[in-house]
Amino acid sequence: MGVITDNLPGVLEPLPGGSVLVTAVDQLINWSRSNSLWPLTFGTSCCAIEMMMATGAARHDMARFGAEVARPSPRQADLLVIAGTIVKRMAPRLRTLYEQMAEPRYVMATGSCAICGGPFMYHSYTTIRGADEIIPVDVYVPGCPPRPEAFFYGLLTLQKMIREGESIRHPGERRRPVLAALPEGMTLDDIRKEMQDLLSHDANVNMTDAAAEGAHYSAELKDF
Amino acid sequence: MSVHVSTLQARITGESTASSPLSTEEYFVNMGPQHPSTHGVLRLVLRLDGETVREVVPVLGYIHRGIEKMGEHGNYRQFVHLVDRMDYLSALANNWAVTMVVEKAAKMETNDRIQAIRTLVCELQRIQSHQLWWGVFGMDLGGFTPFFYGLRDREQICDIFEKTIGARLTMNYIQPGGVMFDIHPDFVKDVKAFLTYFKSKMPEYDALMTENVIIQERLRGIGKLSAERAIALGATGPVLRASGVAHDLRKSEPYGLYSQVDFDVPVGTVGDCWDRYWVRMEEMRQSVRIVEQLIDNIPEGKTFLVKPAAKIKVPAGVHYSHVETARGVLGVLLVSNGKDAPYRIHCRTPNFNNLWCIGEMATGGRIGDLVAMLSSIDIVVPDIDR
Repeated sequence: MGVITDNLPGVLEPLPGGSVLVTAVDQLINWSRSNSLWPLTFGTSCCAIEMMMATGAARHDMARFGAEVARPSPRQADLLVIAGTIVKRMAPRLRTLYEQMAEPRYVMATGSCAICGGPFMYHSYTTIRGADEIIPVDVYVPGCPPRPEAFFYGLLTLQKMIREGESIRHPGERRRPVLAALPEGMTLDDIRKEMQDLLSHDANVNMTDAAAEGAHYSAELKDF
Repeated sequence: MSVHVSTLQARITGESTASSPLSTEEYFVNMGPQHPSTHGVLRLVLRLDGETVREVVPVLGYIHRGIEKMGEHGNYRQFVHLVDRMDYLSALANNWAVTMVVEKAAKMETNDRIQAIRTLVCELQRIQSHQLWWGVFGMDLGGFTPFFYGLRDREQICDIFEKTIGARLTMNYIQPGGVMFDIHPDFVKDVKAFLTYFKSKMPEYDALMTENVIIQERLRGIGKLSAERAIALGATGPVLRASGVAHDLRKSEPYGLYSQVDFDVPVGTVGDCWDRYWVRMEEMRQSVRIVEQLIDNIPEGKTFLVKPAAKIKVPAGVHYSHVETARGVLGVLLVSNGKDAPYRIHCRTPNFNNLWCIGEMATGGRIGDLVAMLSSIDIVVPDIDR
């Protein structure tokens, strides 16, 4: 693939009708990429079970979308499905796994934990608030855990994105389908700032208050 | 055609250590945290000598989410949904463990209908959990068909739960003071249909794996765990019962309606992988028996006895309570200072203690058997790390 994506546009473009040909090649490559996704088996917690129901189990079958060949090795996979919470200790390993995968690689964040920390968003001292703090994520599938149907919707969205999003003229640049718009007068930076304020408010402990409560409590507990 | 099957005597006295006439050198292999057979993000450091395992050291913390600490920041009802995410295959039993300690400490009342529903859904989930284990166990041994069979039948229970509870995996159903919703009008009919279906499928399970001589020979005599070592390591659940200790909280300290139903506690003799397999298969049959006895006799009554917004206050002190989940004893230690939020919560989870038995089982065995031993413990990693 490397030869085609690196050299083909340069050879084809100058020819008469070359642009049309490049677009046709684009479509062919994207069509084959979108229908032969090999997922990496990477489940950390609960969502992995629903992932298993979706991929391998009896009622739902991912093979219909060409994505059933689950690979345990990142070097053979091109779809990283993050199913479950990512904690601080796992984060470097996730990054390593991502970097070991060959281009083009796609990432799906499945479940609330992989999107934003989910139920472990507040008061947890280890959870990474969203896998996208570590690696770029292409598709988010919400749910705690998402149903297999939701997972399939995410997979179909990813396939749509692959088919429409990339051109061999600019390898590595992806266009995401616009799915939702922000409300009037609100920017992404506002949301990010509000989030940071909330998190820092939760993470800071007033030591004098905490110590006073502890002393009061240990006096109470002497009887037990 | 005659086939050779290990006798009981051979399983008890048989030598499980591997020896090689070649001179070998010790080396280390790192298994996990990303590995298809470690059921999540468990990491094992193996010290090997040729193909012989000399030492197994589990390394934990790759999914430590601080659930116990998070419990201190919310009230008691807010802690229930967090324990769903610990041992997600026995979410209802986890709910019940927290509920039980809060109810016992705060002296909250329940009625027979609540207890019957709790017992029923917990037993259904025990079947569901063992079905998933059976499928994954087959896959870890190299066969893909059990995975299909196990998860096909698991979906039936998922549907029953979905109708009543609205969730498939993380239930958040059993709450201090009752259960979140009354059972669906179709619940009894659906469960009966499932039991009829599942009883006709059990022979299929047996024909595929239990009576399969390859599976039997593969599992017999490997990963032996003596009763003394199992007790010393704190193993509970099927791992302990397979070693011959008939310890089941449902019998020894009955809670819910377990004292009113008739069931047996299957125990193994040798404590090898085959016994652990057999105990779980038998437990599924016993759970079917329990559900059969209860399904026609659900008493009438209310299903939630406190106001949903009521603040539950637990008297100051240390409270403890435990239940038998599909994997063993889940104990919840609650330290309260009299307020509506816990001062400290500690969970004694079954998987943590069961996991450390792998060192005892695998040492001296072959590396090819390690995955079978690990799978026979039936670990859920988020329950270990919490």
